[in-house]
Amino acid sequence: METFVIGLSIASILFIVALGLAIVYGTMKVINLAHGEMVMIGAYVTVLASKHLGLGIYSCLPLAFLVAALFGLAIERLVVRPLYGRLLDTLLATWGIALILQQLIRIHFGFGLFGIHIDGLGSDLQNVPVPPELQQTLHILGTNIPVYRAFVFGVAAVLGLVSWWLIYKTRFGSQLRAVSAARDITAACGVNDKRINALAFAYGSGLAGVAGVLVSGFKTVSPDMGAPYVIDAFMVVVAGGVGHLLGTVLSAGILGEVQSFVATWSNDVYGRTVLFAFVILILLFKPQGLFVSRNR
Amino acid sequence: MKERTITLAAYFLFFAVVFALPFALNSFWTNRIAVYLVYAICAVGISLSWGYAGILSLGQGLFFGIGAYMISMSLTLALPDNNPVPQFMLLNMEPNAPRDLCCATPGSFLWQPFQYLSIGVLAGILVPCVIAAVLGYVMFKRRTSGVYVSIITLALALIGQMLIINNQPLTGGFNGLADLAPLSVGGIEFDPYGKSVYYLVAAALLVVVLLSRLIVSTRMGHVLKAVREDDARVRYLGYNVENYKLFIYCLSAAIAGIAGLLFAVTSEFASPSLMSTSFSISMVIWAALGGRSSLLGACIGALIVNFIGSVASENVMLQPVWPIVLGLMFVLVVLVMPEGIAGIAKGWIAKLRQPRSLKEVVQ
Repeated sequence: METFVIGLSIASILFIVALGLAIVYGTMKVINLAHGEMVMIGAYVTVLASKHLGLGIYSCLPLAFLVAALFGLAIERLVVRPLYGRLLDTLLATWGIALILQQLIRIHFGFGLFGIHIDGLGSDLQNVPVPPELQQTLHILGTNIPVYRAFVFGVAAVLGLVSWWLIYKTRFGSQLRAVSAARDITAACGVNDKRINALAFAYGSGLAGVAGVLVSGFKTVSPDMGAPYVIDAFMVVVAGGVGHLLGTVLSAGILGEVQSFVATWSNDVYGRTVLFAFVILILLFKPQGLFVSRNR
Repeated sequence: MKERTITLAAYFLFFAVVFALPFALNSFWTNRIAVYLVYAICAVGISLSWGYAGILSLGQGLFFGIGAYMISMSLTLALPDNNPVPQFMLLNMEPNAPRDLCCATPGSFLWQPFQYLSIGVLAGILVPCVIAAVLGYVMFKRRTSGVYVSIITLALALIGQMLIINNQPLTGGFNGLADLAPLSVGGIEFDPYGKSVYYLVAAALLVVVLLSRLIVSTRMGHVLKAVREDDARVRYLGYNVENYKLFIYCLSAAIAGIAGLLFAVTSEFASPSLMSTSFSISMVIWAALGGRSSLLGACIGALIVNFIGSVASENVMLQPVWPIVLGLMFVLVVLVMPEGIAGIAKGWIAKLRQPRSLKEVVQ
């Protein structure tokens, strides 16, 4: 049962990261390999804000969203936009961005080159203090449930609902869906598709930033912490079916649990190996993912 | 001059320089350049699959690493100290296990065939090929393409790396295989810092380039280019697109395997870092900088990036900046020069030739 709860929290993180990736991939057909670095930035925002501003983990959630979203906006403007339609090139360019961001953090934002030290940045590992109320363990129905894991799940649920509302109930959402279904026609109808792209990219990056805050609560923060998340999250997107919100939720759930159970049963490495094999199997039998969205 | 003549001259010049270089270098630089030539071999493989068939494999490091590990296992056993069991295995042996490859540690029987060098070499080429065939078959039959292929191959390399680190008693774990005997074939010992290994690598590069050139200049090469541009149309024309893709992907994996073999011989180690994501993706940028759809360009790209890289990492001031430069290179190459150095060179050549042809038109 505890394994299940841990799996649920892995799934929650996967879901938040994958959701951002799915929105960006669904709208622009672009895989942002710097998406993991948005997670890393979110985690560093938490480190810096708690060290220098004394902010707690709660107020870091919106702050990290904002910072990561701004980074996302900048990346979209500078790198992704000129490469529109050149899928594989975008992959390489965003990987370049990822390298740059990692190294900038490692050398204290570049100030390190001039001998200026910023506490909390750099290549050393960082820990984030978790507020005491989240450190407790609840006893429900004879099982121990760590409150922090439940908190992670709660945040993911809220973000999922907000995203659902945003995508299916707002004007922005309907334009977003229109762009991902038929970009040219939508643009011809007077929708500014570039603006939609930029906003989608920023929103996706912001989500990854929030995931970073949550991750910082149970993992050490380091410049290269983000990289593994992109691959795992992309696996979730692929397995769930691109452009299908419910599919992303369920496949994040399934993959998170698979990883958690295999990891408890043997170890973390086999957890990820099985996860990967599982996705290949899914793609073998359902090339479009578990849930196919009704598209044109 | 015809374009064909210019291309031929470029190839000739490149290989003339490559083969003449050792006479101007000390043993340290002979070894360094030999390693860069190994990378160039790998870049040729990427140029074949990405530049010609549009398959961007981000997991070439897996094949490269396998190649390196396979020959390293043979070379580890070739050291007299490591007879019959490699040193690192002794540390992991169960107290009363026999000192024999059959059962020193769980799975150590897998090492038994590698007592023969020929098997190590053969496995270094064939194992990548077989893995690529299985993976490629699954992917291409399912019409997986574009980013899916890239991400799946990337993830596979990541898993390979984790498995190697995780199976420490069998693979040497994080440290990899570092204590290798020098390659010796038929009584000739290849010294990594001497001309012998350099020429071995240079000859391999020549063979790989010529073979690849041969393949892309046949009808197959044209079909592959067509597949890159629009595979659905090629399929309608009755070609079996999947088989073409599968062939080129396997070939590219085998070339990466060969490069891995030679890497282990020149650098005298194999480690999990060869399968890291960043190394796999760096390989792609070598090909991209040089020109993805130019075999020679890819070679030159690999040489340039690695030369600058090693100069930068020896300089204390430049060392922290180098990853940023590398990152900028990714972004700028893709944004500004998608056809790489070869594309720019082609542009110049076209410009040089244009005035004359204009004059001819006027006359």
